[in-house]
Amino acid sequence: MDRRLRKALKGLMDPDLEHRRRTMDLFVRATFEIFIRVLYRYLGNEVECEDVLEDVYADIWEKPDRLRDVNNERELLRTVYLYYMRRRLREVYRRMNRNLHLSQEGLKRLVAPELGIAEMLSQSELQQTLRRLLNRLKARERRAIELWMEGMSIRAIANELKTTVGAVKMLKFRTILKLKKELRNYNRED
Amino acid sequence: MADINRTIHELLVDYSGALRDGSIPVFLKSLTGEEGQKIGSSREFWDGTEVVRMLNSAGFADKAVLPNVSLFISRVDAEIASRLKRARAPSRGRGGADAKPVSKTKKTERPI
Repeated sequence: MDRRLRKALKGLMDPDLEHRRRTMDLFVRATFEIFIRVLYRYLGNEVECEDVLEDVYADIWEKPDRLRDVNNERELLRTVYLYYMRRRLREVYRRMNRNLHLSQEGLKRLVAPELGIAEMLSQSELQQTLRRLLNRLKARERRAIELWMEGMSIRAIANELKTTVGAVKMLKFRTILKLKKELRNYNRED
Repeated sequence: MADINRTIHELLVDYSGALRDGSIPVFLKSLTGEEGQKIGSSREFWDGTEVVRMLNSAGFADKAVLPNVSLFISRVDAEIASRLKRARAPSRGRGGADAKPVSKTKKTERPI
Protein backbone atom coordinates (compact mmCIF):
# COMPACT_ATOMS: atom_id res chain seq x y z
CA MET A 1 0.00 0.00 0.00
CA ASP A 2 1.06 3.54 -0.72
CA ARG A 3 2.95 5.07 2.22
CA ARG A 4 0.75 8.18 2.13
CA LEU A 5 -2.37 6.06 2.37
CA ARG A 6 -0.95 3.95 5.19
CA LYS A 7 -0.16 7.13 7.14
CA ALA A 8 -3.64 8.48 6.51
CA LEU A 9 -5.28 5.26 7.68
CA LYS A 10 -3.19 5.32 10.86
CA GLY A 11 -4.24 8.90 11.50
CA LEU A 12 -7.89 8.00 11.02
CA MET A 13 -7.72 5.61 13.97
CA ASP A 14 -6.88 8.44 16.37
CA PRO A 15 -9.62 8.82 18.99
CA ASP A 16 -9.37 12.61 18.83
CA LEU A 17 -12.00 13.91 16.40
CA GLU A 18 -10.04 17.06 15.53
CA HIS A 19 -6.93 15.06 14.71
CA ARG A 20 -9.01 12.77 12.52
CA ARG A 21 -10.47 15.79 10.81
CA ARG A 22 -6.99 17.04 9.91
CA THR A 23 -6.02 13.58 8.66
CA MET A 24 -8.98 13.53 6.29
CA ASP A 25 -7.11 15.89 3.97
CA LEU A 26 -4.41 13.27 3.43
CA PHE A 27 -6.89 10.42 3.23
CA VAL A 28 -9.10 12.17 0.65
CA ARG A 29 -6.08 13.03 -1.50
CA ALA A 30 -4.91 9.42 -1.43
CA THR A 31 -8.27 7.82 -2.19
CA PHE A 32 -10.46 10.32 -4.03
CA GLU A 33 -9.87 9.05 -7.56
CA ILE A 34 -10.26 5.40 -6.60
CA PHE A 35 -13.51 5.95 -4.75
CA ILE A 36 -15.14 8.29 -7.22
CA ARG A 37 -14.57 5.85 -10.08
CA VAL A 38 -16.17 3.05 -8.08
CA LEU A 39 -19.20 5.24 -7.41
CA TYR A 40 -19.36 6.11 -11.08
CA ARG A 41 -20.08 2.43 -11.82
CA TYR A 42 -23.43 2.87 -10.09
CA LEU A 43 -24.37 6.45 -10.75
CA GLY A 44 -22.82 7.41 -14.09
CA ASN A 45 -23.07 11.03 -13.05
CA GLU A 46 -20.20 13.07 -11.63
CA VAL A 47 -22.30 15.47 -9.58
CA GLU A 48 -24.19 12.68 -7.86
CA CYS A 49 -20.88 10.87 -7.24
CA GLU A 50 -19.43 13.91 -5.48
CA ASP A 51 -22.46 14.30 -3.24
CA VAL A 52 -22.38 10.65 -2.19
CA LEU A 53 -18.63 10.65 -1.69
CA GLU A 54 -18.81 13.71 0.55
CA ASP A 55 -21.12 11.79 2.88
CA VAL A 56 -18.98 8.67 2.63
CA TYR A 57 -15.87 10.54 3.80
CA ALA A 58 -17.76 12.20 6.64
CA ASP A 59 -19.06 8.76 7.69
CA ILE A 60 -15.52 7.40 7.64
CA TRP A 61 -14.36 10.31 9.78
CA GLU A 62 -17.18 9.65 12.25
CA LYS A 63 -16.77 5.87 12.47
CA PRO A 64 -13.46 4.72 11.01
CA ASP A 65 -13.26 1.43 12.96
CA ARG A 66 -14.06 -0.72 9.94
CA LEU A 67 -10.82 0.38 8.33
CA ARG A 68 -8.65 -0.70 11.26
CA ASP A 69 -7.47 -3.99 9.75
CA VAL A 70 -7.16 -2.89 6.14
CA ASN A 71 -3.81 -4.00 4.69
CA ASN A 72 -3.99 -3.20 1.00
CA GLU A 73 -5.84 -1.14 -1.55
CA ARG A 74 -8.17 -3.94 -2.58
CA GLU A 75 -9.24 -4.52 1.02
CA LEU A 76 -9.75 -0.81 1.45
CA LEU A 77 -11.98 -0.63 -1.60
CA ARG A 78 -13.99 -3.64 -0.52
CA THR A 79 -14.43 -2.39 3.05
CA VAL A 80 -15.37 1.13 2.03
CA TYR A 81 -17.83 -0.20 -0.53
CA LEU A 82 -19.45 -2.66 1.88
CA TYR A 83 -19.68 -0.51 4.99
CA TYR A 84 -19.82 3.07 3.80
CA MET A 85 -20.70 3.45 0.11
CA ARG A 86 -23.44 0.88 -0.23
CA ARG A 87 -25.65 2.45 2.42
CA ARG A 88 -25.33 5.89 0.86
CA LEU A 89 -25.97 4.55 -2.62
CA ARG A 90 -29.13 2.85 -1.46
CA GLU A 91 -30.33 6.10 0.07
CA VAL A 92 -29.82 7.93 -3.21
CA TYR A 93 -31.68 5.30 -5.18
CA ARG A 94 -34.47 5.04 -2.62
CA ARG A 95 -34.97 8.77 -2.97
CA MET A 96 -35.05 8.48 -6.75
CA ASN A 97 -37.45 5.59 -6.65
CA ARG A 98 -40.09 7.23 -4.47
CA ASN A 99 -43.57 6.52 -5.87
CA LEU A 100 -42.17 4.44 -8.70
CA HIS A 101 -42.92 0.92 -9.77
CA LEU A 102 -39.74 -0.92 -8.89
CA SER A 103 -39.89 -2.76 -5.56
CA GLN A 104 -37.47 -1.72 -2.84
CA GLU A 105 -35.86 -5.15 -3.09
CA GLY A 106 -35.41 -4.70 -6.84
CA LEU A 107 -33.97 -1.29 -6.20
CA LYS A 108 -31.43 -2.62 -3.74
CA ARG A 109 -30.23 -5.09 -6.30
CA LEU A 110 -30.09 -2.48 -9.01
CA VAL A 111 -27.93 -0.07 -7.13
CA ALA A 112 -25.82 -1.96 -4.69
CA PRO A 113 -26.00 -5.71 -4.81
CA GLU A 114 -23.93 -8.02 -2.71
CA LEU A 115 -20.27 -7.85 -3.44
CA GLY A 116 -19.81 -9.10 -7.01
CA ILE A 117 -16.74 -9.59 -9.12
CA ALA A 118 -16.91 -6.05 -10.41
CA GLU A 119 -16.79 -4.64 -6.89
CA MET A 120 -13.69 -6.64 -6.03
CA LEU A 121 -11.58 -5.26 -8.85
CA SER A 122 -9.67 -2.02 -8.98
CA GLN A 123 -10.13 0.21 -12.02
CA SER A 124 -7.03 -1.09 -13.80
CA GLU A 125 -7.82 -4.74 -13.00
CA LEU A 126 -11.35 -4.22 -14.26
CA GLN A 127 -10.16 -2.80 -17.55
CA GLN A 128 -7.69 -5.62 -18.00
CA THR A 129 -10.35 -8.24 -17.24
CA LEU A 130 -12.82 -6.67 -19.61
CA ARG A 131 -10.27 -6.48 -22.41
CA ARG A 132 -9.64 -10.22 -22.07
CA LEU A 133 -13.35 -10.97 -21.95
CA LEU A 134 -14.05 -8.89 -25.04
CA ASN A 135 -11.39 -10.84 -26.92
CA ARG A 136 -13.40 -14.00 -26.35
CA LEU A 137 -16.42 -12.60 -28.21
CA LYS A 138 -17.27 -12.90 -31.88
CA ALA A 139 -16.20 -9.94 -34.02
CA ARG A 140 -19.72 -8.55 -34.45
CA GLU A 141 -20.54 -8.86 -30.75
CA ARG A 142 -17.30 -7.17 -29.76
CA ARG A 143 -17.87 -4.40 -32.29
CA ALA A 144 -21.36 -3.69 -30.92
CA ILE A 145 -20.05 -3.42 -27.37
CA GLU A 146 -17.04 -1.33 -28.37
CA LEU A 147 -19.20 1.12 -30.32
CA TRP A 148 -21.51 1.42 -27.35
CA MET A 149 -18.53 2.08 -25.09
CA GLU A 150 -17.40 4.80 -27.45
CA GLY A 151 -20.65 6.56 -26.63
CA MET A 152 -22.73 5.70 -29.70
CA SER A 153 -26.50 5.43 -29.49
CA ILE A 154 -28.26 2.18 -30.39
CA ARG A 155 -29.51 3.77 -33.62
CA ALA A 156 -25.99 4.86 -34.59
CA ILE A 157 -24.69 1.35 -33.87
CA ALA A 158 -27.47 -0.10 -36.03
CA ASN A 159 -26.40 2.19 -38.89
CA GLU A 160 -22.77 1.21 -38.41
CA LEU A 161 -23.55 -2.52 -38.37
CA LYS A 162 -26.11 -2.12 -41.16
CA THR A 163 -28.96 -3.65 -39.20
CA THR A 164 -32.08 -2.62 -37.28
CA VAL A 165 -32.38 -1.01 -33.86
CA GLY A 166 -34.24 -4.07 -32.55
CA ALA A 167 -31.51 -6.40 -33.79
CA VAL A 168 -28.82 -4.32 -32.06
CA LYS A 169 -30.77 -4.35 -28.81
CA MET A 170 -31.05 -8.13 -28.97
CA LEU A 171 -27.39 -8.49 -29.94
CA LYS A 172 -26.31 -6.30 -27.06
CA PHE A 173 -28.50 -8.16 -24.58
CA ARG A 174 -27.15 -11.55 -25.67
CA THR A 175 -23.59 -10.28 -25.64
CA ILE A 176 -23.97 -8.89 -22.13
CA LEU A 177 -25.25 -12.26 -20.90
CA LYS A 178 -22.42 -13.98 -22.71
CA LEU A 179 -19.94 -11.66 -21.01
CA LYS A 180 -21.49 -12.51 -17.67
CA LYS A 181 -20.99 -16.21 -18.36
CA GLU A 182 -17.41 -15.59 -19.47
CA LEU A 183 -16.85 -13.52 -16.35
CA ARG A 184 -17.90 -16.45 -14.16
CA ASN A 185 -15.59 -18.79 -16.06
CA TYR A 186 -12.79 -16.26 -15.96
CA ASN A 187 -13.15 -15.94 -12.23
CA ARG A 188 -12.93 -19.72 -11.82
CA GLU A 189 -9.85 -19.89 -14.06
CA ASP A 190 -8.21 -17.16 -12.03
CA MET B 1 -37.53 4.82 -23.32
CA ALA B 2 -40.99 5.73 -24.57
CA ASP B 3 -42.10 2.14 -25.23
CA ILE B 4 -44.58 0.58 -22.89
CA ASN B 5 -44.26 -3.00 -21.76
CA ARG B 6 -40.71 -3.41 -22.85
CA THR B 7 -39.20 -6.86 -22.85
CA ILE B 8 -36.33 -7.75 -20.53
CA HIS B 9 -33.75 -7.31 -23.24
CA GLU B 10 -35.07 -3.83 -24.05
CA LEU B 11 -35.13 -2.94 -20.36
CA LEU B 12 -31.52 -4.00 -19.90
CA VAL B 13 -30.44 -2.02 -22.93
CA ASP B 14 -32.33 1.02 -21.63
CA TYR B 15 -30.80 0.59 -18.17
CA SER B 16 -27.31 0.43 -19.66
CA GLY B 17 -28.00 3.56 -21.70
CA ALA B 18 -29.33 5.37 -18.63
CA LEU B 19 -26.29 4.38 -16.58
CA ARG B 20 -23.94 5.49 -19.33
CA ASP B 21 -25.71 8.83 -19.71
CA GLY B 22 -26.12 9.41 -15.97
CA SER B 23 -29.90 9.41 -16.21
CA ILE B 24 -30.94 6.57 -13.93
CA PRO B 25 -33.85 8.60 -12.45
CA VAL B 26 -35.35 8.90 -15.95
CA PHE B 27 -35.07 5.15 -16.41
CA LEU B 28 -36.68 4.47 -13.02
CA LYS B 29 -39.51 6.87 -13.76
CA SER B 30 -40.11 5.25 -17.13
CA LEU B 31 -40.84 1.84 -15.60
CA THR B 32 -44.44 0.70 -15.63
CA GLY B 33 -45.81 -1.57 -12.90
CA GLU B 34 -45.61 -4.57 -15.17
CA GLU B 35 -42.03 -3.79 -16.17
CA GLY B 36 -41.10 -3.32 -12.52
CA GLN B 37 -42.44 -6.80 -11.75
CA LYS B 38 -40.71 -8.23 -14.80
CA ILE B 39 -37.38 -6.82 -13.68
CA GLY B 40 -37.95 -8.07 -10.14
CA SER B 41 -38.29 -11.65 -11.26
CA SER B 42 -35.74 -11.76 -14.07
CA ARG B 43 -32.43 -13.39 -13.32
CA GLU B 44 -31.14 -12.41 -16.75
CA PHE B 45 -31.68 -8.76 -15.97
CA TRP B 46 -29.72 -8.91 -12.71
CA ASP B 47 -26.93 -10.92 -14.32
CA GLY B 48 -26.74 -8.30 -17.03
CA THR B 49 -26.58 -5.33 -14.67
CA GLU B 50 -23.26 -6.44 -13.23
CA VAL B 51 -21.68 -6.54 -16.67
CA VAL B 52 -23.27 -3.22 -17.57
CA ARG B 53 -21.69 -1.64 -14.50
CA MET B 54 -18.33 -3.05 -15.51
CA LEU B 55 -18.70 -1.72 -19.05
CA ASN B 56 -19.74 1.64 -17.71
CA SER B 57 -16.77 1.78 -15.41
CA ALA B 58 -14.22 0.61 -17.96
CA GLY B 59 -15.59 2.76 -20.74
CA PHE B 60 -16.50 5.98 -19.05
CA ALA B 61 -15.30 6.29 -15.45
CA ASP B 62 -11.85 7.33 -16.62
CA LYS B 63 -13.35 10.01 -18.84
CA ALA B 64 -15.51 11.46 -16.09
CA VAL B 65 -14.63 15.05 -15.29
CA LEU B 66 -13.43 15.00 -11.72
CA PRO B 67 -13.58 18.07 -9.53
CA ASN B 68 -10.58 19.80 -8.05
CA VAL B 69 -9.53 17.71 -5.03
CA SER B 70 -8.71 20.71 -2.86
CA LEU B 71 -12.15 22.16 -3.41
CA PHE B 72 -13.69 18.79 -2.70
CA ILE B 73 -11.68 18.48 0.54
CA SER B 74 -13.11 21.79 1.71
CA ARG B 75 -16.60 20.40 1.08
CA VAL B 76 -15.81 17.31 3.14
CA ASP B 77 -14.34 19.48 5.88
CA ALA B 78 -17.47 21.65 5.96
CA GLU B 79 -19.62 18.53 6.31
CA ILE B 80 -17.41 17.27 9.14
CA ALA B 81 -17.55 20.68 10.84
CA SER B 82 -21.32 20.63 10.68
CA ARG B 83 -21.44 17.15 12.18
CA LEU B 84 -19.02 18.21 14.91
CA LYS B 85 -21.20 21.21 15.67
CA ARG B 86 -24.28 19.02 15.84
CA ALA B 87 -22.53 16.56 18.15
CA ARG B 88 -21.35 19.32 20.47
CA ALA B 89 -24.62 21.22 20.58
CA PRO B 90 -26.48 20.77 23.88
CA SER B 91 -29.45 18.49 23.50
CA ARG B 92 -32.80 20.22 23.52
CA GLY B 93 -34.77 17.22 24.58
CA ARG B 94 -38.11 17.79 26.22
CA GLY B 95 -37.71 18.15 29.98
CA GLY B 96 -33.90 18.10 29.82
CA ALA B 97 -32.03 19.54 32.78
CA ASP B 98 -30.49 22.33 30.69
CA ALA B 99 -33.66 23.22 28.86
CA LYS B 100 -35.03 26.62 29.68
CA PRO B 101 -38.72 26.88 29.03
CA VAL B 102 -39.60 29.98 27.05
CA SER B 103 -42.57 31.57 28.63
CA LYS B 104 -44.82 33.65 26.42
CA THR B 105 -46.10 35.52 29.42
CA LYS B 106 -42.74 37.26 29.81
CA LYS B 107 -43.67 39.65 27.03
CA THR B 108 -46.84 40.66 28.78
CA GLU B 109 -44.99 41.23 32.03
CA ARG B 110 -43.00 44.12 30.64
CA PRO B 111 -43.79 47.43 32.31
CA ILE B 112 -45.96 49.59 30.12
